[in-house]
Amino acid sequence: MNLERVLAFARYEIRRATARKKVLVLVVVTILISTIPVVLIRSVGGSLLPPDDYPYLWVFGVFVVQGFFLPFTALLIAAGSMSEEYEQGTAEVLLSKPVTRDEYFAGKFLGGYALITGVIVLNAILSVTAATFTFGVQEALLVLPAVVLSQVYSALVFFSVAFMSGELVRRSSLSYIIASAVYFTSEVAGIVLRAIYGITGNAFYQQINVFLPTTPVTSLPLQVGLPGLPAGAKFILSFIGSGPTETSLTFSLGLIALYALAATLIARSYFNLADVAKRVA
Amino acid sequence: MDSVLELNQAVKDYGSRVIGPLSFSVGRGEVVGLLGPNGSGKSTSIRMALGLARPTTGEVRLMGMDPYRQHSRALVGVGYSPELPNLQTFMTPAELLTLVGRELSLKRSEIDAQTPKVLENVGLLAYRDYRIGKLSKGMVQRLSVAQAMMGSPSLLILDEPMIGIDPAGVVHFRSIFREFVSGGGTIIMSSHIMSEVENLCSSVAVVHSGKLVFRGGISDFIESSLNSRLILVEVRTPSPALVEKLRVIPGVRSVTATEGSLAITAEKGTDLRSEISSAVVAMDAGLLSIGYSRSEIDEAYVAAIRGSG
Repeated sequence: MNLERVLAFARYEIRRATARKKVLVLVVVTILISTIPVVLIRSVGGSLLPPDDYPYLWVFGVFVVQGFFLPFTALLIAAGSMSEEYEQGTAEVLLSKPVTRDEYFAGKFLGGYALITGVIVLNAILSVTAATFTFGVQEALLVLPAVVLSQVYSALVFFSVAFMSGELVRRSSLSYIIASAVYFTSEVAGIVLRAIYGITGNAFYQQINVFLPTTPVTSLPLQVGLPGLPAGAKFILSFIGSGPTETSLTFSLGLIALYALAATLIARSYFNLADVAKRVA
Repeated sequence: MDSVLELNQAVKDYGSRVIGPLSFSVGRGEVVGLLGPNGSGKSTSIRMALGLARPTTGEVRLMGMDPYRQHSRALVGVGYSPELPNLQTFMTPAELLTLVGRELSLKRSEIDAQTPKVLENVGLLAYRDYRIGKLSKGMVQRLSVAQAMMGSPSLLILDEPMIGIDPAGVVHFRSIFREFVSGGGTIIMSSHIMSEVENLCSSVAVVHSGKLVFRGGISDFIESSLNSRLILVEVRTPSPALVEKLRVIPGVRSVTATEGSLAITAEKGTDLRSEISSAVVAMDAGLLSIGYSRSEIDEAYVAAIRGSG
């Protein structure tokens, strides 16, 4: 595999994805979600929080956005990565050159993943900045790099699932719907299973819940972040509904790797076996 | 002549229809017109040649290699220009050629040197920093050819290269392709414009309903497909006596005179241009021009398709 060609495809993918208005809009929304609520808390509800918790308000933007908008952005970026190239016939042009399918596949995957990484990092920076401007100097930031890293790693699950569905169905809208359906079904199933577990106390439902793809995605950043966060920050997290999870860090890391690897391998195998689809008229 | 492309009993089974078995080869230095109606198998042949589609059975060799399994080696020195509008609309021509250069593993300095040259060659240098989405259809077609010519390929595979191009552009492209061939290049060109094929190609491969109908030189194609040949003669003074003299030449079926020109239908397998010229000169009718009708290839194509259907 030629690394330079992989990087060329990765750069191309970033350029291609950012040229899509819907991706840009979602990135902007993600950024707004990470900053505006902190400003609103300052202006309308600052008194709800004890002043001792002000130095930890950065956790709000970092963890709230992680819960919903980051998986959504990952889905949107990845779902169109392969499929839009088929729809527009550009895959034909790119793959009619002396490149390997591995280089193309790896470049597209890495480019899209680099973009979602950039969004996560930007979200963290803006969350801290917005909290600093509105509530003063923020503390316990030493844990932030590890949290961001865990969020980047967590994003692999739905990024890979959307990337796979894009390759399998080769229609951007359909792949986005399928990947979103997986995400929402997992979210809803998690809520339902937790509720049943709460009512019945039957551990079986909780066992199923921990294996859902959304569970490690939500859990991992908390498992990484919570031990390093003081009580004030934990209070803010509980305030927004993010609590500790029952699974271990290793379990979350492993399950994320399993989902991502399975989805990527399926996509790669199909890409290797199938013809390059013709442009959709 | 060594082959740059060989299809050997290549079959592509799409389930609902089957293309092939197709067997033909393209020699180095040839300019081959790939002809056939829509859905006949031209695009499938091109896609199999480029390794974009894998033959269900049979074999395809590009530059002596399997373009599917040995893609990155077989495609070295091959430029492909797809049909409109398969180019990245969000990029500029310069960005697209840079990307192509990187795919071809060209050094930055080579990309910087080749990009303006290639763009100038197709008349797009002034538009190098325009978004492709803002370019006209003809300009995108020019760019499609430009990206195929990056890296100085030895084989060009062109899918309808003249579509959307203005007459001046067509003339310009003809000269570009002729120059490419005179430099030792090979061209495989899919087209529905028969006059263009006749103008540029040395031979044709005609496919219909997934089968190869004809492979060979253009004159052989016309000869084998038509039952008669149409010779057009331009004279200064056409007279009834001249028409009568031409009509009695062995092999002439009919002579139709219109103002200043004569349309002579000759029997298949004959070349009567010399006899007709001599007759016109002998009658002192003022011979201006003589040649086979330009529409013959269209008629031969229609006849070949009908004959195979």
